[in-house]
Amino acid sequence: MSKEQILEDLANAVINCKADLAKTSAEKALAEGVNPVEAINEGLVKGMSVVGERYAAHQVYLPQVLVSSKCLYAGLDILIPAIPKDDLANSKKAATVVVEGDVHDIGKNIVKTMLTAGGFVVNDLGKDVPPATIAAAAKDGLDVLCMSTLMTPTMDRMPEVINLMKENGSRGSCTVTIGGPPTSPSFAEEIGADHRDNNAQDCVNWLKAM
Amino acid sequence: MKEMTPYERAIASIQNEPVDELAASPLALGLCRRLMPQKVTYKDWASDPKLAAESFTKGVEQWKLPFTVTLIDLSITAADLGAHVRMDTENTPFVDGHIIHSMEDYEKIQCPDVTQGRIGKLIEMNRLLAPKIKGKSFHIAFMEGPLLTLTQAGGAEQVFMDMFTDPAPVHKALSETTKLCTAGVQKMAEAGVEGMCWDYLWANYSCLGDPEYGEFEGDKYAKACNEATRATGIGLGIHNCADLPHLDTQIKQFGVDMYSMAYYPLIPGSPTATETIEKGYCDKCLVMGNIDPQLFIRGSVEQITATTKDLCQEAKTALCKKGLNSRYCISSGCEVPPDLETKLENVQAVMDATHQYGRM
Repeated sequence: MSKEQILEDLANAVINCKADLAKTSAEKALAEGVNPVEAINEGLVKGMSVVGERYAAHQVYLPQVLVSSKCLYAGLDILIPAIPKDDLANSKKAATVVVEGDVHDIGKNIVKTMLTAGGFVVNDLGKDVPPATIAAAAKDGLDVLCMSTLMTPTMDRMPEVINLMKENGSRGSCTVTIGGPPTSPSFAEEIGADHRDNNAQDCVNWLKAM
Repeated sequence: MKEMTPYERAIASIQNEPVDELAASPLALGLCRRLMPQKVTYKDWASDPKLAAESFTKGVEQWKLPFTVTLIDLSITAADLGAHVRMDTENTPFVDGHIIHSMEDYEKIQCPDVTQGRIGKLIEMNRLLAPKIKGKSFHIAFMEGPLLTLTQAGGAEQVFMDMFTDPAPVHKALSETTKLCTAGVQKMAEAGVEGMCWDYLWANYSCLGDPEYGEFEGDKYAKACNEATRATGIGLGIHNCADLPHLDTQIKQFGVDMYSMAYYPLIPGSPTATETIEKGYCDKCLVMGNIDPQLFIRGSVEQITATTKDLCQEAKTALCKKGLNSRYCISSGCEVPPDLETKLENVQAVMDATHQYGRM
């Protein structure tokens, strides 16, 4: 099978929500000697970008995006371990997290997917995570931190994280974005975050344009 | 025109009768616990029907609210399906343990006895509240709709994926959550409420298109809930604080009496009050909206007064152009944050500003 066909299959696996095809195409890519980074970027990520664009245009909806995302990770789980560590050295490191007191993570997971599709190496810190844990992760060499919450009472965990990042010296080197329905650009400004966006795709576009 | 009571204004607004001034009724719900003479934590308020009923009564007395919507939190029906709910002292209770881990788990979902559990407590709370606010405030019970109940219980991400990949078990579970909802509204009506407000949150173009929403709630399950509500003789309402709500389906097709909605100025396509009225949605029902809930916690009295003034003028102008007498209620787009930091005076400011600038 040609490299082009493998890359097309990887993209179509994500677009058409075929997890098995994502896995077998990823395995074929490695067996045929395709560079795993190329397989990710020109195959899986290309497919996820199509889905992201269709979602932004309201041509597909959340259920399909979530399933496509699952297919993306099915391929990534095979391809990422095959990447030589040196090849990842130049990739930006990002973390996604839902702050302490909140477990609503569907938006955070979409951001994680779009960041991955955007070429970031993403560490998902999870949900209901204490500020100190997030700040410690930022100190561990993060370039980007994406925090979210769905609920008003937990919004104030966000400035706590930023203050702890200032204390441990990681704030200056880490871009902080926030999201979630109760947040706003003015809230981002008030707490000293760099950015707030309405949706994952726009947020990742903003980060890539920086 | 002679001054109306809040209750008279509520009834007139639903019926598009002339009103002395626009109705104003911010969704101050959990916030009402702070009006109690003793310290009431959110956890206590959400657990004790008597405390909650007394708190809502205080809200009606304090702010002269024409409508009382009795939302406690969005995990009540999910809890009764077996989901684990975390109740922090001063946070809105939420599900932190879902019940769907395999497709077989959908088959296990069964409608619980609505006289027991958290829904039983909610019904009891409404029963206690009804005589206290009768004739003073239009009493609307609140429940999560069938799809929201399932996503809360099972986890939205998992349920959405299963809707796409293996819908049959999801439908089976939705039949059971619909039974819960329809049984619930019957008991609510027996408890003396005057209206039912369903939370059909997922009718949102950021999440589901028309076919998806139709298949998984609108066409069958919400329809059953709406019909069950109508069968009891009480008013039918919907709360949908999503950014891009399915207004045609939920207002025009469902034929509701009241619709509570939000406005997101930063999201293209999010409907303003003017657009909502101009497009004929207030021809069909009373629309309640759309002050940013965050303003109640982060804004000053001056800021929220100015926002209310602008909204009053916007709504009055649009209603007048449409030849409508009322049918718009100044409210918050979603619940006023029940936080300890929310400024109680901002709720009063909305009432005062509407009294001043909402004269018809």
